[in-house]
Amino acid sequence: MSSLLSPENWKLLSIKIKSFWEDYRRNKIGLLGLATIILYILVAIFGPWMISWDPTRDTRLAQRYAMPEWITILPQYSDYPRTMRIPIYWNVTAKSELIDASWGEQLKLNYIGSEAGIASIYAMSNFTFPYKVAPKSFHITFLWKASRVKNLTYSIHLGMVNLTNTKQTLWWTDRNKNMSESAFVNSEGIDTLIRLNLDVVSTDLAGTIFSGPGEYALALRVTFMSSTEHSTAEISFSEGELRIMGLVHGLLGVDQYGRDLWSQLITGVRISLIIGLVAAFLSTSIGITVGVVAGYLGGLTDELSMRMVDILLCIPMLPLLLTLMYIYGKSPFYLIIIIALFYWLGLARIIRSQVLSLREMPFIEAAKAAGAGKFYIIFRHLIPNTLPVAFAHMVLAVPGAIILEAALSFLGFGDPATSTWGRMLNHAFNHGAFTRLAWWWIFPPGLAIVFLCMAFVFVGHAVDEIANPRLRRRR
Amino acid sequence: MIVDPNFTTEMREMLMRQYGLDQTLEVRYILYIQGMLTWNFGYSFASNKLVTEEMIPLLANTVMLLGAALVGTILVGIPLGILAASRRGTKVDVIAIGGGLLTWGVPTFFIQLLFMFFFGYYLKVTYNWTVFPVAGMHSVPPPKDPLIYMADVAWHLAMPLITLVVASFGSWALYTRNLLLDALTQDYIVTARAKGLSERTVLYRHAFRSTLPPMVTMITLSIPAIVTGAMITEYIFSWPGIGRWYLSSLSNADYPVVQAVLYIYALLTILGNVVADILYGLLDPRIRVGMRR
Repeated sequence: MSSLLSPENWKLLSIKIKSFWEDYRRNKIGLLGLATIILYILVAIFGPWMISWDPTRDTRLAQRYAMPEWITILPQYSDYPRTMRIPIYWNVTAKSELIDASWGEQLKLNYIGSEAGIASIYAMSNFTFPYKVAPKSFHITFLWKASRVKNLTYSIHLGMVNLTNTKQTLWWTDRNKNMSESAFVNSEGIDTLIRLNLDVVSTDLAGTIFSGPGEYALALRVTFMSSTEHSTAEISFSEGELRIMGLVHGLLGVDQYGRDLWSQLITGVRISLIIGLVAAFLSTSIGITVGVVAGYLGGLTDELSMRMVDILLCIPMLPLLLTLMYIYGKSPFYLIIIIALFYWLGLARIIRSQVLSLREMPFIEAAKAAGAGKFYIIFRHLIPNTLPVAFAHMVLAVPGAIILEAALSFLGFGDPATSTWGRMLNHAFNHGAFTRLAWWWIFPPGLAIVFLCMAFVFVGHAVDEIANPRLRRRR
Repeated sequence: MIVDPNFTTEMREMLMRQYGLDQTLEVRYILYIQGMLTWNFGYSFASNKLVTEEMIPLLANTVMLLGAALVGTILVGIPLGILAASRRGTKVDVIAIGGGLLTWGVPTFFIQLLFMFFFGYYLKVTYNWTVFPVAGMHSVPPPKDPLIYMADVAWHLAMPLITLVVASFGSWALYTRNLLLDALTQDYIVTARAKGLSERTVLYRHAFRSTLPPMVTMITLSIPAIVTGAMITEYIFSWPGIGRWYLSSLSNADYPVVQAVLYIYALLTILGNVVADILYGLLDPRIRVGMRR
């Protein structure tokens, strides 16, 4: 086998590639396809730098089903709010002498009173809301911790003050012991609405609070009620964030969990390319091997393998794939293997028929007379001669594998941990992108599949025209 | 199949007996083969009904969709291919080639989603104009008059059918065109033309006739793909066929149904092959057994 890598072989190979390229560059459709594929590969490589969010883990980036941000160019959408992530910065506005407080991003309260009584403290965190249209929801998260609580009851009230100075309570608690809790308030959450005794169906909390652009504030009131002497308590608030969910987000909006669709689209490039290329390469390898071996050895081997091909060709692939994936797992790795195991059939037949005519050629006979073994003939003479056809097949198998993967993911049988184009379409289909006419959600993944597959079809067409002598004569 | 984890041994044995798990593997295999041959696939885990009983109406719906799609595709694809071949280089030719490439590069389900978006939702939401229904096989409640009922079903069938035809006519047209172009370069065509036959006769009686056998092979080989395509189509348009049933059963781990549907799919494919073989014999006198000259 070392002779395969000898200098004169390399030279021959480089001449072949050069002449192939000379033919190829004259084919406009082929060049277009190649350019598209290169573009996709670049996106696959530099994808992580083109996205700002994790496609599956970063949820709540905006109001679910938010529209793309560029839609604000249109006048009717120009006032739609973007997502605002505001770190809470507390300012104490009024306090009782009995409370010692330090404030900023962290608010620390220390009850220093020594006799029975009631003491309150008020803190505000101001922010500006610049948009005319009200958001549909906002989320408040913060950590609060009460320690050294002794002989007293404390109550915490969190609310929001709007332009007209009406205060809407959002969250409160009454306790008398040590606590450490990460609080999460969702303005449209059922738990919040029930707690506030509001109608869970019709209440638009964010809509009533955000009445226009201007200054708003989060308001906090903590009250200590001690019954006896020697009462102590320390309460701290930290890591507070107010997130106003935007109605527009990013380049393609967000999905039903508020995840960035652009990130999902860009991440999908890599998965699709890998699955397409690897599955096509593997299936082509299997096809060449089976075809050459069956064609050259003939007899029982030929009969057995070709009957196997016949049987497998009869089986509808998708249902079988679904069953296998259901049994063996949904990872892309299995998907590649399974696609590869079913995509070599046609190629094996073609290669076999080619080998059947090749093996009768004088040069094979000469090789045999010179004492070449079976393996030498197969690897040195037969396989290289079938490569052009095999290459054309491989290029055309890529779109097949990509579409098959997309179909599986679209049917909901893909890997839940990876974001693929099929999965995006599945979510769009099952979670109301159609009723909302969210074409920015439906079209991009589909068109991404179409352009990538068409690029491979174009390249395959061009390669076929060059490699296939029958078509070449016609040109 | 859902059972209480604390169920009794008697219950366990009863269930084992019910599903034949008390038998040896060999006996079970023979029983399975026997069940396949006699169309006895057992009871569905989900509905506790006989799988066969539940399957028949669904199978009829699938066959209706598949048959209509196959006929539609052939009726559009093959004439287009003939037109393209006889007018090589014209617009018709470009449509045929473009359609063929489209089938390679565009997933059927995306075409269907696009149709659904425009005709099912966009026109409805924007202009309140229901062109085609987006789901199901008939209106709810179904119309009582049988004629209106049939029209209603046809209306519901329209979009799945049109999309399936759009998605697959191209490859047929392209294949027909290429076969016909090949045939038109043969010597006997030159002879036929030299005889003074009209171009029409040459095209249909001489060239097209000789392309039929490979075309039938193509029909045969495309049947698994059509069956597969029908599965996604049924999923998208909520068509109550066995493909949709299969998908939901697979997610419910309803194995008797899964086995039965896979069996039916294989059967449909083999049936298609047999029919094609018979047709092949009818179309190509050379391969008829016992008719050697």
